[in-house]
Amino acid sequence: MTRSSLYRWFRQFRRQAKPDIYGGVTVKARSIYILPTKQGLLLAVVLLAMLVGSINYGSNLGHLATFLLGGIWITTILHTWRNLLGLRLQPQHADAVFAGESADFCLSLINPSNLDRFAITLKQKKNFGDSLDIPNNEQLPIHLPLVSKKRGLFKLPQITLHTTYPLGLFHAWTYAEIDLSCLVYPKPAERGDPPVTESYTKSSSGDRGVGSDDFVGLRTFRTGDSPKQIDWKAYARQQGLMSKQFGGDRHLEITLDWDLIPEQEPERRLSLLCRFILQQEELRHAYAMKIPGLSIASGLGSGHMQKCLSALALYGIADADR
Amino acid sequence: MQIADHTLTARQHLLVSLCAGLAIVPHALHVPIAISLFLIFLFVWRLTALRYPQFQPGRWLLVLTTLGGVILTFSQYHTLIGRDAGVGLLTVMMMLKILEVRRRQDLYVAVFISYFVIITHFLFDQSMVMALYLFSVMVCLTALLIEINRIKPSATTLEPFVRTGIITLQAIPIAIVLFIIFPRLSQPLWNLGIGSSGTTGLSDRMTPGQIAELIESPEVAFRVSFDTEAPAAEQRYWRGLVIWDTDGHSWFNRKDLVRERHMQLKSHGEHSYEVFLEAHQQRWLYALDIPVSSKQRFRLSQDLILQRREPVRRSLTYQVRSTTEQQNKVVMPGMLQRALELPDNVTQRQFELVEGWRTNAKSPREIIELALSHFNKQPFVYTLTPPRYLDNPIDQFLFDAQEGFCEHYATSFTQLMRIAGIPTRLVLGYQGGEYNELGDYFIIRQYDAHAWTEVWLEESGWLRVDPTAAVAPERIRFQLRNDFGREGSPAMFQLDELGLVGSSLRHFAHMLDNANIQWRRWIIGYSREHQFSLMRNFGFDSFTPLQWSLITIGLIAVPLMLVALRLVLSGRKQPLPEIIAYDRFCKKLARLGISRKTYEGPMDYAKRAIGERPDLTAPISRITALYINLRYGPNADKSQSKKLLQQVRQFRPGRQKPGT
Repeated sequence: MTRSSLYRWFRQFRRQAKPDIYGGVTVKARSIYILPTKQGLLLAVVLLAMLVGSINYGSNLGHLATFLLGGIWITTILHTWRNLLGLRLQPQHADAVFAGESADFCLSLINPSNLDRFAITLKQKKNFGDSLDIPNNEQLPIHLPLVSKKRGLFKLPQITLHTTYPLGLFHAWTYAEIDLSCLVYPKPAERGDPPVTESYTKSSSGDRGVGSDDFVGLRTFRTGDSPKQIDWKAYARQQGLMSKQFGGDRHLEITLDWDLIPEQEPERRLSLLCRFILQQEELRHAYAMKIPGLSIASGLGSGHMQKCLSALALYGIADADR
Repeated sequence: MQIADHTLTARQHLLVSLCAGLAIVPHALHVPIAISLFLIFLFVWRLTALRYPQFQPGRWLLVLTTLGGVILTFSQYHTLIGRDAGVGLLTVMMMLKILEVRRRQDLYVAVFISYFVIITHFLFDQSMVMALYLFSVMVCLTALLIEINRIKPSATTLEPFVRTGIITLQAIPIAIVLFIIFPRLSQPLWNLGIGSSGTTGLSDRMTPGQIAELIESPEVAFRVSFDTEAPAAEQRYWRGLVIWDTDGHSWFNRKDLVRERHMQLKSHGEHSYEVFLEAHQQRWLYALDIPVSSKQRFRLSQDLILQRREPVRRSLTYQVRSTTEQQNKVVMPGMLQRALELPDNVTQRQFELVEGWRTNAKSPREIIELALSHFNKQPFVYTLTPPRYLDNPIDQFLFDAQEGFCEHYATSFTQLMRIAGIPTRLVLGYQGGEYNELGDYFIIRQYDAHAWTEVWLEESGWLRVDPTAAVAPERIRFQLRNDFGREGSPAMFQLDELGLVGSSLRHFAHMLDNANIQWRRWIIGYSREHQFSLMRNFGFDSFTPLQWSLITIGLIAVPLMLVALRLVLSGRKQPLPEIIAYDRFCKKLARLGISRKTYEGPMDYAKRAIGERPDLTAPISRITALYINLRYGPNADKSQSKKLLQQVRQFRPGRQKPGT
């Protein structure tokens, strides 16, 4: 049996707190693990040396001091355990990031008891999040930054809530599964021009009369239209009250189209599309997007961008996995 | 390490240096002066480097300094092993570690070494004061560990100490259990070669004038606590060693009687007592008159002195039974001849003096009487500062100066009796002792040292004769006053003439000494024998290692469970009374099969309950309304919670709907 398979075999016995209906976890007495730290083992060795010395020199006070420190050593196990017991982790939010960036998972750490807790650390394997002291009956935000590897929904992996307080001789930890995920957009490709055919359109569908340059037609007057807009000549012709419609400030419409991207590899395509979206936003040029199975009408602004980027992030990912 | 920040703050650096400094101070006072200076130098260097980081030594400088420290230690002790050199090296190494503390790991190592250094102090000083100091330092070190293990520093200085105090108090029961039950060895694991330190006390070679030097020392020789009634002052002769031989100047034993035979008198002693002996670097143990049995396995020499195989190198506690009433008729071949041997420098006038008594007396007993009355009637002076007799001490004392101390009387009496043909031997020990009424024990100090004689009479065996009593009976009944007049002035005795201040001072001193003896009896003197007798009290003769382990684990587990229980309960919040009451109400309804769903608010729940049991509409809606008002009402009257509780109590729904 290899080491990793042995690890997996052990893992099935691991007690792990499942998220409750609120998506958070409360640390239960029986799900806390505790082992001595390096310092704890070192002190054990020192205590052993002290005991041997005391025995050898027949020093009763030496025995007493050794046993007192030994008692503290043992009692610390309980204190470390108590420092975690009853704490609650509640998911807050995790803002979307681009693949490769660090996803910042925000949780809140709740101490519902009357005891202060100290040096509570959030971590995931080797990744350390915040360490904080949390006074009794308080709630503090706690962050765990994790590097996102690929686009999609980044579910917060199993995390560890961890402490070595009070003496650093033992570390107590508990495994928690928190219902929190972070949306990861594709990693933007290097800069480049979008391979699109530029076209000027005057259609009112692309531009609903918000401009003032070109006359596009008439429509019946509606209350609230400016008197300047009224086509008085038409009124004189007994055609009724008509309003002149202007529109189509010279409008460059871009459609970011999956099919127009020369690269074949889907992830590469997604990452190019991602880059183009960012570029368009930078230039404040409206854009539409077309990917297989989805086409998003032209638009601009953070809401539009998020919509497009999310579509890219989740492209090809089955709903079940979301 | 879990806390990402491995560095320490300036305050933590300073604190660890100070705490370690506190732990090392008592050693710095007794290691050689060169090492003390080196320690101080390192400490100052450390403090300077904390203030001005450019003085922080680099790696090579540290290596060089370490090397220098080792060489210095070696040059002072000429070795690096053994107790004294080991401790010297340990202190130097510890200070060097303090000097290079940078990160948290270093701090842990420094604190752990400090713990170790603390227990090495107990090899030198086991007093209560020292223990109190060292345990305080231990608490400081632990508080420091707590402080570095939190993220933000404590709001007050007191806080880490309070937290350490709590943990320490919880650890004390475990420490006590282990202390009592952990097996003690009677022999060290390996030979330690503890050097004998110069302690005052009687030695096995006595030259008149030596005891008078001891008299200046108020140091405690031993303490005695009687289980039975204590004998009167004039009966409290603590025998230490018996001396047979003399060369005319000094008294000593040419051959040791101890190794010839061991004896164990199996008789009932009427005095049972416990002796707390200070280390005196000798093999003999002090006991009252004739020791008949002891709980410990000591040897009893033919002259009835308790002996140990090893010299008493640290304080020792032992129990003895003695008799003062029995006659000591133990005599071995050659013993009486030895008790008659005379030195070469016996003078004519000594023979003449004895001859005079022999002609007047009919029995040896009368000769003794005459000799004692001679000391009494002649102008003999009992003084602590007799002149020096260099030539022929006994002769000069008897006929020229007639000024002397107990040893002069005892030696000359011994010699005179031997001239008269009465076997006599010299006994050294202590006499009397100060009573401490608080602890009900006697303190025997060096100035209680005494010398007397034992004579052999056919009809009564060895008989104690104290010629000093003939000259200065007060010496035997009262204590010597510890002030010394000019040379040759008569000794003064302490009578009960202390004023109020004096007596309250003495009361205080006795109180301190009592605390000390209890400390000695229960902490320092706790031994294998105590352990066995404790075990017997609980009905065990011996434990197998397995039994021992199980008992230890059991005894430790109990206090630990209590601590765990306390820890779990201490953080738990007492729910509000209305919540308790409402929960009870919900339980009652649940018994009817209407249990509250987690998503259900009190109102929805009440509605559902009423739907199922319309007959209970009134109590359910009343209780629910009351609860909602108490819990969420804008100006809830807290006194209403009692009413709620009462209503819930009265809510006793029947199991069946009425009529079905």
